[in-house]
Amino acid sequence: MNPVSAVLVILGALVALLASIGLLTFKTPYARFHAAGKASPIAFLFVALGAALEVGWVGAGELAIVAVALLLTLPAGTHLLFRATHRTTPPTHMSRDDLQIVEAELAASERADSDGPER
Amino acid sequence: MIADIAIGIFLLAGLLAGIRLVRGPDLVDRVISLDAALVALMGAIGVRVADSGDTLYIGILVVIAIVAFTATVVLSRFIETTGRR
Repeated sequence: MNPVSAVLVILGALVALLASIGLLTFKTPYARFHAAGKASPIAFLFVALGAALEVGWVGAGELAIVAVALLLTLPAGTHLLFRATHRTTPPTHMSRDDLQIVEAELAASERADSDGPER
Repeated sequence: MIADIAIGIFLLAGLLAGIRLVRGPDLVDRVISLDAALVALMGAIGVRVADSGDTLYIGILVVIAIVAFTATVVLSRFIETTGRR
């Protein structure tokens, strides 16, 4: 392994370790999602960059596909988990939750639309 | 040598995510820790690719990424629609 890719690989491993430490130690679910959902794609990006310097053009292209797929899908999945948490558990760590108000208004207007006589 | 150290750090990260997977108070914590453990596994396989220069393992990375995303989406929809924690 050349020195540049060795440094990148170790850096990615340390970022993944930091993500797992945050996942283990933070108190609220939202903070845990921040730790795991944002640092994980960065960790894999570093490792993929380090590996792409080793395997040549074809392997680098395949690694780029994997990295882009992970960068697109992991934040989307984490966002869905955020939404599921927000809709199923009442927030206890916030004094005021604006998103809950907006979502209640949205649900009420959707109900009014579906019950309305004009449809 | 460096590859062994990096794989060891990824293993430690996966083990910490596994502790959260067992302890996690809610189902969402288990889902996100499963995601983190799968990314640690992907990183370890990536280190193996960088160490050996073997491109055969990259297909495994694609499959793990797709399976992890599908599992996250399905489980979050399950949590949302049933309200089960």
